[in-house]
Amino acid sequence: MADIISIARGVFENKKADILIGYTKATSEGRTRPVIVRSADEVQNLVLNSSCLNNLATYLTRKENKGKKVAIVAKGCDIKSIVQLIAESQIKRENVYIIGVKCNGVKRSFEGEDSKKIAEKCLNCNVRTPHLADETVDMSDEGLTGKDEKAELIEKLDSMSAEERFAFWEEQFEKCIKCYACRQACPLCYCERCIADKSMPRWVESSPTKRGNFAWNIVRAFHLSGRCIGCNECERVCPAGIPLSLLNRKMVMVAKSEFGYESGMSADAPTLIGTYDLKDKEEFIK
Amino acid sequence: MSDSSFEPKIVAFVCNWCTYTGADLAGTSRMKYQSNVRMIRLPCTGRIDPMFIIKAFESGADGVLVSGCHPGDCHYTAGNYHARRRWILFRQLLKFVGIDESRVFFSWVSASEGKKWVDVINEVTDTVRSKGPFTNYQKLNKEFTING
Amino acid sequence: MEEYIISLEDLKKLADNLIKEGTDLFLPSPDNSRFVRLKKADELKLAPEARPSDISAKQAAFPKCDPVLFYKRDKSTVELKDAEPSANQVLFGLKPCDAAAFGIMNKVFNWDYKDNFFNKRLENTLVIGLACTYSDDYCFCTSVGLSPVSETGSDIFLVRLSDAQFAARAVTDKGIQFVKKYSQLFAKGDSSKSKPALESIKGPARKFDSKKVKDWLDKNFETDFFNPVGDTCLGCGQCAFVCPTCHCFDIVDEDYSYSEGRRMKNWDACQFSLFTLHASGHNPRDNQAKRYRQRVNHKFKYYIDRFKEILCTGCGRCSRGCPVTIDIGSIVTKIGNLT
Ligand code: SF4
Ligand code: SF4
Ligand code: SF4
Ligand code: SF4
Ligand code: SF4
Repeated sequence: MADIISIARGVFENKKADILIGYTKATSEGRTRPVIVRSADEVQNLVLNSSCLNNLATYLTRKENKGKKVAIVAKGCDIKSIVQLIAESQIKRENVYIIGVKCNGVKRSFEGEDSKKIAEKCLNCNVRTPHLADETVDMSDEGLTGKDEKAELIEKLDSMSAEERFAFWEEQFEKCIKCYACRQACPLCYCERCIADKSMPRWVESSPTKRGNFAWNIVRAFHLSGRCIGCNECERVCPAGIPLSLLNRKMVMVAKSEFGYESGMSADAPTLIGTYDLKDKEEFIK
Repeated sequence: MSDSSFEPKIVAFVCNWCTYTGADLAGTSRMKYQSNVRMIRLPCTGRIDPMFIIKAFESGADGVLVSGCHPGDCHYTAGNYHARRRWILFRQLLKFVGIDESRVFFSWVSASEGKKWVDVINEVTDTVRSKGPFTNYQKLNKEFTING
Repeated sequence: MEEYIISLEDLKKLADNLIKEGTDLFLPSPDNSRFVRLKKADELKLAPEARPSDISAKQAAFPKCDPVLFYKRDKSTVELKDAEPSANQVLFGLKPCDAAAFGIMNKVFNWDYKDNFFNKRLENTLVIGLACTYSDDYCFCTSVGLSPVSETGSDIFLVRLSDAQFAARAVTDKGIQFVKKYSQLFAKGDSSKSKPALESIKGPARKFDSKKVKDWLDKNFETDFFNPVGDTCLGCGQCAFVCPTCHCFDIVDEDYSYSEGRRMKNWDACQFSLFTLHASGHNPRDNQAKRYRQRVNHKFKYYIDRFKEILCTGCGRCSRGCPVTIDIGSIVTKIGNLT
């Protein structure tokens, strides 16, 4: 199987795309960073390994890239976000050229102890072999292992009283500094003007006070409900270390249990909140 | 928690076509009900963004009611079906972040159901009164950490 | 300079005294993500080998949200109350790249308008610095006139001699007064103790010459240089918010209710697309490359033009934490090599 550099070269030589979004080395060993290449002459520094943590699909909806034919290196989870973007009519299938990665899992983080563990999302991944791709590339297996600590924490939170859960989140949300890195990194946070940036009226207070932080984190989690594909970028990039995946994963579980819905799997199926069912539950409505 | 002199503040987000008209009917029929509810009229339950509920709590509400047309009766055909789906998700989210979801009520009240409106309001008011003030959320309002 | 010896035990005693006196103590959190209040003195830990905390200590003088005033109103009157900046605080174990930042920010907060909030907080703050033994590919304090052993910005500067013992230098008058006040905990020492420890600290290799960087920036405002950065920069404010020297803020009024509210001063960042958006809809920095150009120019040109200081201490936080690892140190190094 061909490596990422020759595949990328082929993309330009065969005029399959105008630009290619991939990974390249970052300053330090053990890290990669996103890069956009524009010709076959620029492909030699592309890399692909278990340090390719970023979900590059977040660049697909950018103003500058709209209307272009874009090739993108995408792991299964990243492809889920591409599928979801197509399903939500944000991009057109024919405008993306997907270089799907046959993936064995990525590191939990670039540095420290977590860099030796496998990312939690990879433990129950159902798309290690890409479910939508124009061609595929292998990622080497680095034999990463680890435990799904968040799953245990979700269970624990579920078994707590409302007061205890509130106290847990109060402590977590308090840390938020409103940098919105979680939003910017998310492939599905593509609104041109986020509700958090609207000031007439102001729905989400801009202050990183307790009240403002609750509002922001609730609205973020809600707007991703039934849409989040679980790439975990939001949590990875949060400088305050807030376990945002707990919220996303909980809502993924709700979408599944209440509606049997899994986002990012089919570009043709209607989206969860873009549609409804006459038989949706309503035992809670008086 | 519950204090005998406590009168809850309840915000009701209602649709223009069914529930608001139903409430109007209750009024013109001179039915009596508890006066704890501040009603906010919107075109459709489909227009009731769950953020409104958070905003109500931020503004000091102890309980929130969202009410609109029965399934099949939506003036805009399907606004209430879309809303219902969102509520299912939103309630679970509220629950998970520890916001007592039993302070948030949903109902279908049609234009002819003045009596149902009265019953719903009385029930919601009594329930919230017995729960006491929503201090958990209200205390967030003034607090912030300057450092640390 | 006066040098003393203090054991970790006595530092804990010191912390205990301070907590009892009602002073707020701050130090890096156990996960090193930010500065948190020390609640129990025996949890005091000083880790010169740790990386700089993900979020800097600037909150001590420039909090993420800061009330300016509180208001109450009824039908005919409005009542205003000024907010009072907080009580005394001591920052424990600041790295030189954190400690030096206060002096740098001080210039902009006292340039035309004297910012009472910043000044009061800084006045009420005692900085206990700590010689740093960490360094990684993102550190570049040595390229901006600092080093892992600079005392700039510290009132008291600690050097680890062993796990249980530190040399303490009283750097400023404030520091000297402080040591005097708690003199029973500080034993007299001399520089022979700290010298070998300090000499063993190498620090990051010097990466660029800031004069050359400025020369290039002076001549190259219109440039394609930042386009590749603009390609991948997400425009989140992470880099500015974690930075010890970034100091932009926004002011908003927030109601608690119809009759009460507060005016808040909140962090803002030049990497946000809305930062320069005009009411007309025009945006002079209409893409991410222009925004990053602003970031680099503000730090390595404008601030020097105006205040003769580099607006960067080389801590590397912005780069380590950047979701897409945009590394300011290597970008500026590249600029330095262009001339
Ligand atoms: S979630 Fe699946 S596709 Fe995504 S990085 Fe992990 S193993 Fe690979
Ligand atoms: S919410 Fe987080 S996990 Fe979900 S798609 Fe967005 S970045 Fe990925
Ligand atoms: S990334 Fe973290 S700190 Fe930044 S806005 Fe999101 S939750 Fe808050
Ligand atoms: S440089 Fe990095 S941290 Fe700064 S705005 Fe761009 S993506 Fe965010
Ligand atoms: S610009 Fe980056 S390296 Fe410089 S002081 Fe700020 S966070 Fe540190």
